Parts: sequence; C-alpha cells; structure tokens
Amino acid sequence: MRQDNGIWVGTDDLQRDEAFMQNASAEFSLDNIDQTDGQWSTNRRDFLKLLGFGLGAATVAASCEIPMRRAVPYVTKPDTIVPGVANYYASAFVNGGDYCPILVKTRDGRPIKIEGNSLSAMTGGGTSARAQALVLSLYDTTRVKGPIALAEEDEPTELTWEKLDKNVKGNLAQGGIRIITQTVLSPTAKKAMGEFVAKYPDTQVVVYDPVSSAALLTANEQAFGIRALPSYRFDKADVIVSFGADFLGTWISPIEYAAAYAKKRKLSKAVKGEMSRHYQVESHMSLTGSNADNRILVKPSEQGAAICTLFNEVAALTGNAGVGGPKVNDKAATALKKVAKELVNAKGLSLIVSNSNNVAEQLIVNKLNALLGNLNETVDFSALSYQRQGNEQDLTRLINDMNGGAVNTVIVWNANPAYDLPNADKFIDAFKKVKNRIGCSLVMDETTSLCTLVAPVHHNLESWSDAEAKEGHISIIQPTIAPLFNTRQAEHSLLEWADSANLNREDDQPYYPYLKAHWAAELFAKQNKYNSATAFWDMSLHDGLLDIPATGRTVTYNESANADAAAVTQPSGSEVEISFYETVNIGGGQYAHNPWLQEMPDPVLRTVWGNYLSIPVEWDGVNNINGWKDLNDGDHVTVDINGRSEKCTVVRTFGQMPGTVAIALGQGRTAGGCGVGHGVNAGAWLTVQNGLTQYHAGNATVSATGTKEKLLATVQYHHTMGVRAEGKEEGAVINADEKVLGWKGFQGSLTDRSIIFQANQSELPELKERMTKFHEHAKHLNEQTLYPDRTEWFAEGPKWGMYIDLNACIGCGACQVACVSENNVPVVGKNEVARHHEMTWLRIDRYFYGDLENPSVVYQPMMCQHCDNAPCENVCPVNATNHSNEGLNQMAYNRCIGTRYCANNCPYKVRRFNWLDYTTADNWPGNEERVLHVDDKPFYADNLVRMVLNPDVTVRSRGVIEKCSLCVQRIQEGKLTAKREARMIEDNDVRTACQTSCPTGAIVFGNVNNPNSIVNKAKNGALDYQVLEEINTRPIVEYSAKVRNSNEALFS
Amino acid sequence: MSQPVAPVRHVLIEGNKTYHQITEDLVSPTERTPTREWIVAFSLSAVFLSLYLFTIVWTVWKGIGEWGANRTINWAWDITNFVWWIGIGHAGTLISAILLLFRQRWRTGVNRAAEAMTIFAVICAGQFPIFHMGRVWLAFFIFPFPNTRGPLWVNFNSPLLWDVFAISTYFSVSLLFWYTGLVPDLATVRDRATGFRRKVYETFSFGWTGAAKHWQRWESLSLVLAGISTPLVLSVHTIVSFDFATSVIPGWHTTIFPPYFVAGAIFSGFAMVQTLMVLTRKVLRLEEYITLNHIESMNKVIVLTGTIVGVAYLTELFIAWYSGYVYEQFAFYNRVTGIYWWAYFGMMFCNVVSPQLFWSRKIRRSIWWTFFLSIVVNIGMWFERFVIIGTTLARDYLPSSWSYYNPTWVEIGIYTGTIGLFFFCYLIFVRVAPVVAIAEVKSILKVAGDQYIGPNARARHAASGEKTSVKAEKED
Repeated sequence: MRQDNGIWVGTDDLQRDEAFMQNASAEFSLDNIDQTDGQWSTNRRDFLKLLGFGLGAATVAASCEIPMRRAVPYVTKPDTIVPGVANYYASAFVNGGDYCPILVKTRDGRPIKIEGNSLSAMTGGGTSARAQALVLSLYDTTRVKGPIALAEEDEPTELTWEKLDKNVKGNLAQGGIRIITQTVLSPTAKKAMGEFVAKYPDTQVVVYDPVSSAALLTANEQAFGIRALPSYRFDKADVIVSFGADFLGTWISPIEYAAAYAKKRKLSKAVKGEMSRHYQVESHMSLTGSNADNRILVKPSEQGAAICTLFNEVAALTGNAGVGGPKVNDKAATALKKVAKELVNAKGLSLIVSNSNNVAEQLIVNKLNALLGNLNETVDFSALSYQRQGNEQDLTRLINDMNGGAVNTVIVWNANPAYDLPNADKFIDAFKKVKNRIGCSLVMDETTSLCTLVAPVHHNLESWSDAEAKEGHISIIQPTIAPLFNTRQAEHSLLEWADSANLNREDDQPYYPYLKAHWAAELFAKQNKYNSATAFWDMSLHDGLLDIPATGRTVTYNESANADAAAVTQPSGSEVEISFYETVNIGGGQYAHNPWLQEMPDPVLRTVWGNYLSIPVEWDGVNNINGWKDLNDGDHVTVDINGRSEKCTVVRTFGQMPGTVAIALGQGRTAGGCGVGHGVNAGAWLTVQNGLTQYHAGNATVSATGTKEKLLATVQYHHTMGVRAEGKEEGAVINADEKVLGWKGFQGSLTDRSIIFQANQSELPELKERMTKFHEHAKHLNEQTLYPDRTEWFAEGPKWGMYIDLNACIGCGACQVACVSENNVPVVGKNEVARHHEMTWLRIDRYFYGDLENPSVVYQPMMCQHCDNAPCENVCPVNATNHSNEGLNQMAYNRCIGTRYCANNCPYKVRRFNWLDYTTADNWPGNEERVLHVDDKPFYADNLVRMVLNPDVTVRSRGVIEKCSLCVQRIQEGKLTAKREARMIEDNDVRTACQTSCPTGAIVFGNVNNPNSIVNKAKNGALDYQVLEEINTRPIVEYSAKVRNSNEALFS
Repeated sequence: MSQPVAPVRHVLIEGNKTYHQITEDLVSPTERTPTREWIVAFSLSAVFLSLYLFTIVWTVWKGIGEWGANRTINWAWDITNFVWWIGIGHAGTLISAILLLFRQRWRTGVNRAAEAMTIFAVICAGQFPIFHMGRVWLAFFIFPFPNTRGPLWVNFNSPLLWDVFAISTYFSVSLLFWYTGLVPDLATVRDRATGFRRKVYETFSFGWTGAAKHWQRWESLSLVLAGISTPLVLSVHTIVSFDFATSVIPGWHTTIFPPYFVAGAIFSGFAMVQTLMVLTRKVLRLEEYITLNHIESMNKVIVLTGTIVGVAYLTELFIAWYSGYVYEQFAFYNRVTGIYWWAYFGMMFCNVVSPQLFWSRKIRRSIWWTFFLSIVVNIGMWFERFVIIGTTLARDYLPSSWSYYNPTWVEIGIYTGTIGLFFFCYLIFVRVAPVVAIAEVKSILKVAGDQYIGPNARARHAASGEKTSVKAEKED
C-alpha cells in the first residue's frame, strides 16, 4: 500500500519492507545515534572524546615545559619576618677607613636597601653613594665562593676550610709573617689580630690606605703627640680654607663633614647673613672645590708654596715669625693675602685643612691652625678620628723584606696593594717571591689572584663586627643575611689560625660570642647609659651605636715640631702638571666593581664607567670655547709621565687650571669584577717622596693620537649657565658660553632661563627683587589660560611636595644611588650610557657659571617634577600616565605602549624609556647583546643580582617609560601606617629615598596641605622657585636660589 | 563632464587620439609582458622591501634601543619619516577632490596615479607610528573599544589619538575614492580580457556595464566622495601638526603649524607626483596623455606652495623674535645656527630657493629640471620634518639634557625600506590597472584633444581619420 501522500522513496518503501519500516519509525531512536550512514569513521561522541583527550594531552604536554617555582611557607615562622613587611637592622658600612652608621632594610631575609642611622651624632642619618651601594656588592656574582688554592698555571682547586686551615697553620709555623691591611676601625678585630700576633710573635701588621693621609698622621704626632686625626668642626668654622682636601667628597670622613658644613650653608643661613665662607686652593675642580665660595688656582706642586704663603701672611698680620718657603703664583698670592686678613678676623672660628701628603706642609697647616686659635675649637682633639691609620712608609720596608726572603707568609686582608700602591710593580715582584700568600678578600682582585690560598671573607652585611671610627663613637655591625657563600670572616680566620682559646668553634657564628665578650669586657664599664650587661648589649645592638662620653682632651702645638718650609714640595716649573684624585664613587679603586657606583656620574665631570683626563678650556675671545691644544671631548691622547705612557680619553673641564691636567684613580682594573677594562690605571703614575705617595706629577706630556673614543660615556653635554669672559668683539665682559651657542649666539639665551637663580650674598636684596618680579611675571602669564583652575582637586587629604635647598646640595650623588637602589632602576652599562640611554630617575644637573676661567658651580637634583599641569599626561594616547589627587604624576607601566611622546613633551626631560631589555625581564636572549654584561651574561639575568630588587617596586620591561614616582611605595606604606593608627599622616611617615640618603638634608618632602609640615617650614618665600615656572606646568618640586658667600674683591 | 571650452585652453591630449586609441594606449600596459625596466625596478623594490621587513623584525625583536633615538631626542627618523610620507600622500586627494570641484581638467591625466601614490604613501606613513612603539604588540590599546581591562579608555586629549582617527579616515576615504574611479576602467580592461584574467577583472569591476544609470551614480558618488575628501586634505596634516603644536616644547608650540604643514604637504605631494609621472610617462609611453601642460600645471602648484612654506619659515623666525620669549628665540636661533644648521639650510635651499626656478617657463616645461627639482623638493621636505623634530628636541628647555642624534643602520634600513615598499606597490599597480583614468580622459577628449583645440586643430581634425589608420597599420 502506498503512503498517504503517494510519495515513496524507494522500492523498500513502496513494498513496505519490514526492516525498512522498522528503521524508518526508529529514525531518532537512541540506538541510531551511534550508527550513521557508515561514511563517518568517527562519530560525534568519539570526536568529543578525541577532542577532550587531545586538548588534555596537549595541555599536559605544554605544562611540562613551564618551570615550577614553589613558594614554600615556613613550618615555624620566625617572629620577626612578616611577608611584605620590611625589617630594619642597625649596622654600619665599613670599608677600610670609610664609615657610615646605617640601617639595613631587609625584606623576607634579604637586605635590599641602606638607610642612614639617624641616631648617629656623627652623620645624623646621612649617607654617601658608597654606603648606598653597599647592598649591591653583597650580591656580586664575581665574589669568591669558597676557600681555594691557587697555583701558577694550574686551575684553582677548591678546598674545605679544615684543609685550608691546616695548610695555613703549616705555613704560619715557619714564622716571618706579615699582615697587609687597610685601616682597621674595629676594636674587636684589633684584639683578634693581637691574639694572632701573640701566637706568632714574628708577625708585623702593615696598614696603608689606598689614598693616603699618612703625612697628616705623622704631622699630628709631631705637633700634638697624637697619631690620629682630630674632629674637624666645619659647623663651627666661619672661614674654611682647604688646600686640595676634598672633604665633602672623599677626604677622610665626608658624610660627617658634609653634614656639619651644610649647617652653615643653608639658604636660611644665607638670608640671615650667617653663612660660612669657604676657600678652596686646588688645580682640578673637586667636589669640594665646586662648592667653595672662591677657588684659588694653584698648580699641584705649588700647594706647599700656597700653604707657606698663607702662613706667612697670617704670621705677618699677627706679629709672628713666618716660615719662608717657596713662592706661589702671583694671582694666588694676592688672593691668599686677603684670605689671611679674613682668617685673622675670625680667630678661633676658622679651619685650615690640607690633603698634602707631605709632613712639612701638614705641620705648617697645624701651626697655622694653632696660630689662628683653632686648636680645640674647630680642630677638636677631644674625640679623635681613626678613619685613616695607614702609613705606606711601612710598605717600602715590607717590599725590602719580601725581596730579602725574610717573609714566609703574607696575609692580605681587605687590601689590594698589587693595584693601588704607587710602586705596585715592585710590590708584585716582591710578593711573588713570598712562599705563602694568603688572600682574605671578597673578590678575585689583582692581589688575591696572585695569592696561593684564598680565604674568602664575609661581606659587610654578613659579618659580625664593630667599628670605632671616632673615639667613643662605636658601631656594632650585625649580619642581616646568612652567608651566601662558603666564606668566613677574616677575624674568625685569624683567631682560628692563632688557635685562639676564646673562639667558640661550637657556636653557629663563632665570631659573635667573641665580639659580645669583647664588648662586655671592654666597653660595658666605659659607658654610663645602661646598668645591666644584657640591656647594654641588646640596646647597643638595637641602636647599632654606643656613645661613650667624650674625653675633653685638649692639645697645644708642640713648638719643637719642625715646620720646615724647606721640606715642602717645591713648585716644579714644568709646563704641564698632572694631579691624581680619588672620586666620590670609585674611591681609590675600592669600589670599582660596583655597577651602581660605576654608573653614578662623577659629580663634576658627569662621566661614568672609566676615568677621563681633565684638560682646561680656553676662550678664544670671539666665538669658541676650545679645549686645551684644541682637544675635544672624547679625543684620545697619549699621556707620558716619567717614561710611562697610557692612552687616555680627554674631557674638557671648566675650572681646571691652565697648565694642569688631572685624572682619577681607581680605574683601569685588570681583575675583580665589572670594573675590569674601563679607563686607565692612573695609580701607576703616582710617585713616592720620602716613602709617602704623592698625588701629582710634573713633566707630563700630552699628545693627541688623532683618534676618538667611540663610547664617551657622559650624561651631560652642555655644562654652563652663563660663564663670563672678556669678548674681543664687544670689548666687554659677556657670557661666553651664550656666544658659543650657534653662530655668535645671543646674550641671555641661557641666563634668562628660569632654571637656576643665583647670586652672591652681598646681592641678596637684588636677587629677591628679581625673583619677586619673576614670580609676578610668571603668575601673570599663567593666568592667561583657557582652562579652569583645579587647585581644589588637591584640597582634601595630603598633597605631596618637595623642597630642595640648592645651597645645601653639595652634589655628592648619594641620592642618586639611593634612588637606583630603592626603585630598581636598571644599570645599563657603558655602551648604553654613551648612547644617552641612561635610566636614572634622579640626576644631578651640574652647571658652571661666573668667571669662565674659574667658574662657580651649582648642582640641581632633577627628578620628575610631578607637575599639577603635566604636559606628559595629556599627550599619552592610552592614558598610561595620569595624576593622583595627592598631586602625584603616576605611571601605569602595564598600560604604556611606548610612544615616548610624554618624554618629548617633558620640559624637564626626566622621563626614561626602556630602550632595551635592561632588566632581562623578557628573558629573551636575542635582545640582550647591548645591555651591561658581567661575567659574560646580562647583569640582571643572574638570580643572585635579582635579590637586590625591591619587591615593592615593579621591574619594568622593555618598551615602557618610567620615571620618579616620589617613592610612591613609601607613600602608600606611610598612609597605611597612619590609617592603622587612626591619625593624620605626618611628615615622618613618608620620607623619600633621596631625602633619607642626603647627608646635608638638602631634600625635604612632605604634605604641603599641612601648614606645619617640614616641607612648608623649610621654604624661604621669594627666594624659592619652580623650574620653568612661567610655562604653567605647576611642579610640586620647589628649589631655592643658590647663594654664594664669595669674596668678590679676592683677585682685585 | 564635458563643458564648453575656450579655445585658449591647453591641449591635454596630444597625438590626435580617437576613443579607441585611448583605450589601446592606456590598457595595453596591463596586457603586455613586463618590460625589462619594470622587472629591474620591481626587483630593486623587492630588495628594499625585504630590507624593510628585516629591519622591522630586528627592531621589534631587539627593541627600540637599536635606533639612535635617546633620552632627549625620543623621536627622530621614525616620526620624521611618518610626517614626510603623510605629506606626500596629500597630492592625490587634492588632485582628485579639490581639483575636481574646481573643474581643473588637467587633473584627469594624473589623478589616478596620484591617488594610488596617496594610498601607498599613507601605507608607508602608517608603518612608523606603529613600529615606533616600544611595545608594538599592544598597539591595539590605541583603539577606543569596550574592553575587559576595567573602565579603561584611550585618552581623547592626546594628539596621537587624533592621528589615529585622522589617518585611518583619510586612508579609507582615499581608498574608496580611488577605487570608485577605477571601476569603469577595470570594466574596460575586463572587456578586452579573456579567461581567468577576465574573471578577476569581472569581480573587481563589480559588474559595471556602462549603463547610463551606472554613469550617473558613478558621477554622483565621485562628487560626494570629493566633498568628503576636501576637508580631509586640510584636516589630516593639520592634525599631524597638532602632534607638535599642542606640546609645550619651544619650536613645536606654534599656532602657524596647521596651515604651514598643509602647504608643505601639498608641496611635497606634488613633487612626488612629478617624480612618478615623469618616470611613468616615459616608461609606459604616455607622453601624449601626461603632457608638458600637465607637468607645467603641477610645477605652478609647487612654486606656489613652496613660496607659502617659505613665508611660514620666515614668519616663524619673526614670531620667535617678536615673542620676546627666550626659549622660543633660542629654539629658532638654534635651528638656524645651532648644531643642526646644515639641516636648516638644506631645508631652506631645497624648499624655498629651488622651486623659485619654476618662475621660468623654460624650466617649468623641462622634463629634466622638473624631475631634478621634484627630488630636491622631497629632500628638502624631509629636512623640514627633521629640523622640526630632531633639532627642536636636541636643545629644549634644560641645557643639562641637550644631546645629539645620529641614525643607526636600522633606522636607515627602515626608511629606505619604506621607499622600497612604496615602489613595490606602485609597480604592481601600473601592471594591473590603467595608470591614467581612461573614462575621465575620454570625457575631456573633445575639449582638450589636440585635434579639437589648439593651433591647427581644425586642420588636424580633418586629417585625423587618415592619420589614425596610418597609425593602426603601424601597430599591426
């Protein structure tokens, strides 16, 4: 029978075949789902199964490639460690004689930042760049990681400490022992050395300093009977004369001196007319010289003559007998005559210091201080300073002994004589003749690599120790992390080798009970602050400091001391003289392997990664400021001194005396770490006179090679802000630098900019008037805006502000390194700095102004100005940078796509772009060729180095802009603290890294909405200004005018 | 579009052409096998295009640090090249839109190529804002679209965002306009083609039959697009100039920038059209369609816009002096006499002095002078953008941050690479589409053909039939 509609599909259907009918009625039955028409080998379910399996398998397979990083919780959590909360431990930074009481910030057991210890009366909480960089040297990948034996030509073999000790003890038994070390500040270490010497009586300890003050010590011994340094009271001195002593940067105790010096230099002092006057007598512009009110230029060999001249003038005025001595150049003589008059008028309130390493010169300086009544006033012996103890004269004897075979064993502890001695070649020859050479050092430096046994030491931050930098001012150094490598403190090693009975070898940290015992035995009795020994130790450890009452010692000048003018350095009369100087960042080379310090620009030269020959500049009177001999920045020259020649790179330097050149020590390293291969070793040119190292030389010949340095790594290319000289065409004094800009530039093109305001103290009213007019003009211009004033946006809650006193800023660079440390700012290396790719959030602009031949300097710390009307914010296409209602200009790194428009539109040029993968955040080896490499790999690629990163601050990746955040992580922390304690935020809740690091308190930060905040109190009215005030960017960083207290009639 | 015409008008089509001959002459380049010159030029462009791809991959892989830009000069060759290419891309729209509205008949000979040039130049220009980004893989952040990243929108205050809109609009409208013009001509090609080729052209000519209704709609659409494009000619470069004019940097922050940029853009665009036309008419033997009269007209535009640009340069200098504002004064002092003085003098010489030669009719009508000066003008316009960007950034407010810039091989590679990209596209274009708008040329034959106007028009008209047959025989 047909279907009802008469349609059939086949014969089966037509005949109503049974099987067909069955299938047809069950078309959608469950049974049929599995059975398709037989064409598909995979049905839907199988497909889903396969899909699921495939995805699962692929996921599992792909997952296997991902490295697992486990975060393991504590089984028993230490009380003190709260994840995300930093602990601070009081300690001290000590390297030879360099000293700074510090707090070490640790996060989850890792030291990540150094802060100053504000309990210290010496530094008041200030730090230096060197102290700030301490934390990075802890995580140095080139550290020696365990005891090793070195044999010539053989591979170094690793030892156990037991084996090393056995070897050493065998060596020591032979007698003839010498210990070479830098200044040792630790009383306990001295005690340990004492034990060692007691065990091995045939031991001599040779102490020297990489940059010597031996003559000063000897002169003090002869004049006052004390072989130590006095406390120089720069805070009491009204007139300061420094003969070459860079006391703000490198000389003896710069943090202490800078803090004291600034007390008499701040703008508030200038306004009140209480500012000190500072004369610097030198040939090369030092950091201290750049801060001086007047610089008197003398050639390096004339320094003795200058000291004699000043003495004779003062003696003449006070009716005393002069010393005679050589003559200084006429210009300096005229000036020194006037200086003498001023000194005599400020009796007891002046201070003369000198860096001469000539005993006679230092004796005359001592006598001069005595003559001026400065003894026991500004030259204070009631608290001696021990920060320089070395005497390189002992080394001459040591070299003879080593050559003569009298020495069997030399232990070199934290010293590098094979590099930093003037006669290093001789030392190396003699040293190699010694049978047993034991190096106790952190890195494989020039000396350690010559040793036979290396007993690597703990880092400062892994050690127990103490430091008495100043009599009665004792720091405890405590470890802030367990030793990273198989190292041992040198003191421990000495005690071990001495078989000391006082060393508790069972203890976890054997030197700790030793130290504690020494304190209990020696110091508890001397102090009167704590009654119980436990409280004494615990509180001293907590504070990191112990102050023992001052001695009240006074001294008188011993007239029998032979201040013989005939023994001072005689002016050489040679055509070109060269001086060698220590730099703020690298020192005499002790800090050359620290990338933060290598990349910190030299404050005066603004160069990084290496040393450069400073040559004087010459004004041709018409349209050019040339380098001496027409040399230009980056030209190569051959410098030949006493038959030894080196290829140096030239940098034209304002303030360099004509007829002189200068180059820094500490570079040209051949072994040790990241400092290897930069610059030249100027130390090899040092000469020795009467066993004392002289930091200058005559008869230098400088000849151009015709080649040029491709990687001139400098961060500033224009240096002046109105240097004045006689213009031949104008027949008047003009701003020579403005004429040089372009074709006969126009006058005012630099000086009319509102970047720096400066005046001499005598012109303070005029300056005030000028600035008041400027403020009015800027206000008038800024009112011509179309946009509504949005000040009310910031009315609620805190509004952050910063104030920088340019009078207190000495340009030392501590803030810059502190910023790098706090904010994970990457180090980019020499190649990248030479391509102007440095990443520093905070830079210190340095401008020369005034007399072209002998200019003044102003330093200007420049960071993001956090403009309330920020040009960077409105040009970002993706809103990656915006403004908070607390006045902060914020960066959202994740949102940044790197158009760099904000950096172009920033008038202050403080925005930094991650040109390459500097932090190796991409972990993408193909793009890391140009970044800094240490140990043949990108610097940050090593997990050890990454331990220094601050976990509160994002590590930026390639292609994003970054800049100063005013330490927003600290602001957040401060706000949370205030909130938790249910109170308003106070000044001390938030202090930026630059602020806390500053030794002079030049940077003040706080809430400007609070009328009583320190930032509001620090301000000085009309003498404060915002940089580029008239362009209506409304920065929240304010600067003070720079005021000098120059003697304008000095040279007339 | 045939209007009554005064006999003093220039002859724009020479050679006594018939309609058929026009079709033959203009379509045949797409039908012949490529000439040796074409193959050489194409291979050369392909090499440079490869260089472009290589240097771009290099940049993205390694980072912008491979360029010479630095902390002070954050934009250099990248944005210089961007503005340069965008400027070049202006002539096409001007010719097709504004000259259409002004009924300038001579545009018909060159508008097709000029529009193509515009499209390719904008493509080249677009490379730079994209690849100058530090994180180009996040470039999509610049588009305003609802997203899952919180209420995160683009910054409508930023001129860079306006650029995105301006350039994408300009590109789409130009493309549309160009393609609209192409449709009847593609149909012409289709009609002559066979096989697969015919199928392709059939697709691309959208079924054009040449019906009166088609022509009417086509004319209307052309006019509408011309109306839309006209403001774009002015707006695109105005907005590009806002990248600089809205900033606070002295030397950038000037109100004269929009008109000055637009004039400069037309100037450089015409110069580029000249460069291309002089080559194209020679290589494709189109001297009878792109005549000396065309070239002369464009040279007149060049001398006009060059002079406007010159006035702008001088105005800037005057305003800087008159402002009494030290930063502004120094910025311009520095441009003229500072470290990059050679770039300023290059710009002044090439852009202001050299076009003045076109006041001479002889030079204006000289192929060689035109070609030479068109290259000089484009060099000058490149210098202008470099002066504005590089020189200004090198020395702005704070002397401590002043620095200098040198390009690296990567930047040079990218720039020359985009020239390769441009010619690669252009050379493909001349092979696949008529370089001269056939329909439009035909529309003016009776008012601009040399048999109808000009000296001896009537005589030649009379003899035209004979001449044509002679020529046809020759071609056979």
